[in-house]
Amino acid sequence: MEDRKHFRDSYDAVVIGGALAGLASALTLANKGKKVLVLEQHNLPGGVATSFVRGGVEIEATLHEMMSIGPKECPLKIRNFFDEMGVDIEWLRVPDAYRFVDDVSGVNVLVHPGTHGNFETPAKEIASACDDADGSVYRRVLELLQLCSRVYDSVNILSVTHMSKPAMLLKHPDFVKTAGYSAKDVIDTFHLPKKAVDILSAYWIYVGDTLENLPFTIWAVLMADYLGYGSYVPKKFSHEMALKMAERAIAMGAQMEFGVRVDKILVKDGHVAGVRLANGEEVRTRYVVCSAYPDKAYTQMIEPASAVPEGAIKFVNAKTVGLTCFSVVLLLDGSPEELGIRDYSTFYAPKGMDLKKIFDECGTDGPYNYITSICTNLANPGCTPEGTCIYSITALPKPEGWMGVTEENYEELKRKNAEYFIDMESKRLGVNLRDHILEIVIETPVTISHYTGAYRGSVYGYMHTMDDHIVARLQMSEKENYIPGLAFAGAHQISGDGMGPAVTNGRKGAKIILDQMAEEERSGRKA
Amino acid sequence: MKVKGFLKDVGGASAVTKRRQAAYDRASAKPAHKDPMGAVAKALHPGLIPLTVESVRPASKTAKTIRFTSEAHLPYFRAGQFLTLVIERDGYRVTRPYSISSAPYETRGEHPCVEITVRRPKEGGFIANYLYDEVRAGDTFLGEVGLGEFHYEALRDARHVVAAAGGSGITPFVSMAKEIKNGREDFDLTILYGSVSEDDIVLREELEAAACDRVHVVHVLSGDNPGWTGEKGFLNRDIIKKYSAEDTTYFVCGPQVMYDFVQKELEALSVPKRRVRFEVFGQVRDITAFAGYPQEKKDDTYRLRVRIGVSETEIPARASEPIAVALERAGLKIHTACRSGSCGFCRIKVLSGKYFVCPQNDGRRGADRDFHYVHACSTYPLGDMTVKVNI
Repeated sequence: MEDRKHFRDSYDAVVIGGALAGLASALTLANKGKKVLVLEQHNLPGGVATSFVRGGVEIEATLHEMMSIGPKECPLKIRNFFDEMGVDIEWLRVPDAYRFVDDVSGVNVLVHPGTHGNFETPAKEIASACDDADGSVYRRVLELLQLCSRVYDSVNILSVTHMSKPAMLLKHPDFVKTAGYSAKDVIDTFHLPKKAVDILSAYWIYVGDTLENLPFTIWAVLMADYLGYGSYVPKKFSHEMALKMAERAIAMGAQMEFGVRVDKILVKDGHVAGVRLANGEEVRTRYVVCSAYPDKAYTQMIEPASAVPEGAIKFVNAKTVGLTCFSVVLLLDGSPEELGIRDYSTFYAPKGMDLKKIFDECGTDGPYNYITSICTNLANPGCTPEGTCIYSITALPKPEGWMGVTEENYEELKRKNAEYFIDMESKRLGVNLRDHILEIVIETPVTISHYTGAYRGSVYGYMHTMDDHIVARLQMSEKENYIPGLAFAGAHQISGDGMGPAVTNGRKGAKIILDQMAEEERSGRKA
Repeated sequence: MKVKGFLKDVGGASAVTKRRQAAYDRASAKPAHKDPMGAVAKALHPGLIPLTVESVRPASKTAKTIRFTSEAHLPYFRAGQFLTLVIERDGYRVTRPYSISSAPYETRGEHPCVEITVRRPKEGGFIANYLYDEVRAGDTFLGEVGLGEFHYEALRDARHVVAAAGGSGITPFVSMAKEIKNGREDFDLTILYGSVSEDDIVLREELEAAACDRVHVVHVLSGDNPGWTGEKGFLNRDIIKKYSAEDTTYFVCGPQVMYDFVQKELEALSVPKRRVRFEVFGQVRDITAFAGYPQEKKDDTYRLRVRIGVSETEIPARASEPIAVALERAGLKIHTACRSGSCGFCRIKVLSGKYFVCPQNDGRRGADRDFHYVHACSTYPLGDMTVKVNI
């Protein structure tokens, strides 16, 4: 129909996918003066970091809390990155870390984050839910959190600095010494009562496997960041963050196109040579940052397929695709106060904190007995019209559990789980949520797949496990750029899942490309 | 801190690296891509698919039902949803939403199909006239099947649903009724269908065929109809109350005047907001009737610069028509679906210029407002503008 020119003759880099990681890549590349083209198949930036409008009301789609932001006067790395890039987001502090409720042990405790890396408040609150007459539980929880904090500081330094092993051991002893161990191995040495461990495990599902198989390093990062500094949400939902990143990248010269799907990454003479779009158009570039899962890229997108080395296939086959998401998002016809909703975030284990059992259940199509509930309005008052609030209930199933989904059983699967969640939460809150639903949106692995194209609807990349340890990921990363000119950005990269790590992953993808560009320039092979 | 035994072990980092390498060594070198979630997402939301008119049959004296089949897979939509039809005529390429009047189960089985039912247009509207008068079996279109939020939701709605329908607004309820009768939707449906006379009743046979213990159809005639023994008048509070259960959800679909009327009647009955669902309005007939629209501009035509990728073109745009229409008149591609500012498919960026957004059809996100992203189907130019549209 049209033969207009849509693209420049070539780009320094093409970023496939305009979600947080892709946008962080685009920002980093554009900031270095590179000519960047971002291609997003959906008509919005952000991927799952977005919002939707129902019945005239804007509703957060997925964000629970953003880590690594920190208060203005004590900024953490994501806030710093945004400041550096000129992305100005209106952050609101989430009032509490979480309420943890376990119907079997009877624990019901509200945990607040500390400030500026001080863990006394959360340690005190966690200990208060256990028998702690002599204060020893408090001291041990505090010690554990402080260990987490030191590991966290080290990870932040080491992920951007090269260091010899002896220097690392000297400057980052706790990081080095805990690196080979699971979260359980390390937590066990603190001899905490089970109740304390359960409360401390609340975030566990956000990062991967059960504590036995979860690298301590990654658990420590999570605990230190959330409990030491608190978390934040953007005032105009995660869409504000995504849109401001996109707008800033455009302002720095990036071309951003929505509604454009990339089908193929073209490889010629062992190097990326361009991309082909779903409509057949080809765009020339020697560098691609790909947000699609490596599973999809290496098996469906690289052309010719023979350009994919065997190692790349083994790489994806060795990994476990991370968790997907099942979320019931409600707009309720009452304020949180009217409905008796007091907490922003609640982790609820109605059948107890048997993580193995919970995790096995995550491998089915539901129902699930470990959920996170978020009442957005308690961090963002006035984000919906007066007399309403947003309440979401989320479980994080494994993709395996949903491999049997079909067009015909899909509605039933959706409803079965959503009903279970709503009834479970109604009972806990003492208010029948069903009597208050103005709007309901049920997000499933299929929904995620539809809007983002993420492999198996997974939002968590590759599972953090002892077989795919973050420390090993860092050490081996340089050998894993299997196709020259191709890097990745997304939860499937080193830092793993979460919106904060997505940004870090995107920056890393850009850095790989920038290093290769520099190397190419040095060796004078520039085309 | 107390030194724990294992902390003496500084070889952990190498150990996990070896372990990771071993996992690679064990892994298969055969591609193993398998993504059923992706397959279901694609089946349910295939985007534009080819649709072929199989038949056109009368649905009343002034309405026709068009049945489509497809060589592609027809998605298993929800009863009440609409399809969007791409219509290309005389160099225009426009899209129009139509509620699907057939039932989801009819997309299954050996002869999958979807149907829409269109009424003879009362005025102008060359697209509506074309669909009503000229479409024949064998004609082909592109269409997107199964859009919109106007469907029953068991976890939100009451078990008893009263549908208030006017004119061709009956179509989504015919779909629901057929699906209930077929056992695939699980709620009680009473359809209050307002028409002027019996001749105006659309899809009467389908409605009668779908009636069962869970589906009741009540015709309410407003005109002078001697011999009519059924309900008379408008869909007022008395009639609504008469057919309501203690807990009822109301679905409303019909012309604007009916929306306004029924909404007032429901308010008078103190029906809570969560129990009322309105189908989206569609493009408003007259934007100049809205408060805040600058009347002095209504007859103006402006220059609209349109950026598509790295190219730019200039087209005329009338102040009284949405930007989407200007783009369509110029033969430019714009992905629209609901034409009501709601689905957001036609989200574009305003780079410069003033505009007016129809308050009734304003589905923008907060941050989008701040950065001048608008929905082309519900945004009107108030001066020369530059916009960026999707490729």
